[in-house]
Amino acid sequence: MRTQAIQPASLHQWKKAGLLVPGLLILGVASASAGDRLTQHFRVDPHPVVAIHNPSGTVTVRAWTKSEVMVVSDRSTPSVEVDASQTGNRVDILTRQVSDTAAPGDLRTDLEISVPQDAELEIHDDAGGVNVSDVLGDMNVETIAAGVDLEDAAGYLNVKTVDGSFQCVHCSGRIEVSSISGNFRFIDIHSPYVRAQTSTGNISFNGEFLPNATYRLKNYSGVIEVRFSPGDSFDLSASSIRGKVHNEARLDPPSHHHFLPRLGSALFGTLNSGRASVELSSFDGTINILKRD
Amino acid sequence: MNTIGCNEFLNQLGDWMEGKRSADARAHLSLCGECRALVADLEAIHDSAPALAFDDPEPSPRIWLAVRAQLEREGLIHTHPDRQPVASRASAHWFDVIFAAVPRPVIAGAYLAALVATGAALTGLGSARVNNARWLSRTEDATQPLSAQLDTAEEDTFSTLKHADPAVTASLQKNLAIVDNYIALCEKSVREDPQDEAARDYLYGAYQQKADLLAQMSDRGDDGQ
Repeated sequence: MRTQAIQPASLHQWKKAGLLVPGLLILGVASASAGDRLTQHFRVDPHPVVAIHNPSGTVTVRAWTKSEVMVVSDRSTPSVEVDASQTGNRVDILTRQVSDTAAPGDLRTDLEISVPQDAELEIHDDAGGVNVSDVLGDMNVETIAAGVDLEDAAGYLNVKTVDGSFQCVHCSGRIEVSSISGNFRFIDIHSPYVRAQTSTGNISFNGEFLPNATYRLKNYSGVIEVRFSPGDSFDLSASSIRGKVHNEARLDPPSHHHFLPRLGSALFGTLNSGRASVELSSFDGTINILKRD
Repeated sequence: MNTIGCNEFLNQLGDWMEGKRSADARAHLSLCGECRALVADLEAIHDSAPALAFDDPEPSPRIWLAVRAQLEREGLIHTHPDRQPVASRASAHWFDVIFAAVPRPVIAGAYLAALVATGAALTGLGSARVNNARWLSRTEDATQPLSAQLDTAEEDTFSTLKHADPAVTASLQKNLAIVDNYIALCEKSVREDPQDEAARDYLYGAYQQKADLLAQMSDRGDDGQ
């Protein structure tokens, strides 16, 4: 395999607080007091894997047309280092603490990463934020408090947060997302499978209901809101054990029976020919099935 | 010929499974393929119920072996050559053994998946026959050892988080409190109506969330960041 890591020595470009004067670059390395930026390049084959582990800071990943991964890291202090390395067609980017006395704020590092469109991503980011756009490969994202924003993603997307929010715009792959208190927003989705579960978060879904697709949205409390157009076609099951279900869709009665919750509110029925399956469930939250504006 | 509808038939399902079969129910079943399929499923479960060792507080070795095989297939546990066969460890609770095999509390998820599956099967079978007290007792039997294990894991996990980012730790603790609150709410619901399958499902889901969260916290502690 002709995979070549373009090694840092010739390509590292340290910049100090946005100054591009070459003479100051060395000072930037030496003093490294604040705002250090490091750029690294790695040549890759098709379908590379890019793994990012950044405990604190923003991770921004964009697709580009080059067969190359470019990592631009911006660390807040020298208490943290960014190790980027290549093994075969895999690039690992790891932010690690190098000072025992660093305060939590000193560890913040922002990463801007450019990858081929077909890259597969693994991202861990506890606090800060994750933004990914135009990447068509599979993604596995895990955060604690960091929000996750995906745009124009098409692979199998598996996202897990603790209280970070999740937003997916123009996504078309299989999506599985879970959180405890994060809010979810699905905007202009064209996905054949969506499974979303959050405990206290709200879930908003506005997308196309594809034939034979499944959309399962579940929470314990909070609001689940699904938007539909009169021409959409789905089989709907919506139930809230202790909460309410509000519906604006003109549903035909279900063709098969359902077990109704003993309390709360439930709704089952079919819109048009019921080509997609929509399952909405909540413990004590509210479910709204609303006409698209 | 007029017969009862599906809903009414479902109301008589318990009687049907106990052999009390009205003419209306028979007539409905002859015309309704979906109810026939449901009854066939329930009868299949009924026929296999003795193998579940339903009245035995310990699951049979056969069930454990099936669960264990599934966990191994999913890569969640691995057989240690120096570990004696789990099924032979009569002295230990089977859930303790799972935790011993896998340090991460996320394994509780797999345990719960099996639990939910068993719970769902038993719901269909016994809703008309088993009274609330028995259901509550069985639910508690299933969840109490899990709850105790998670409490222990929680104590261990907090001790490893000393060096973690305080903001991240605070977030984890806040969300652990949220999950604990939902466990309490779901337990209350199950106590109020032990046969409510949906409430039990949410309870098991909340336990699984707690296990997942503790696993994440444990990972952060292990990272030492």
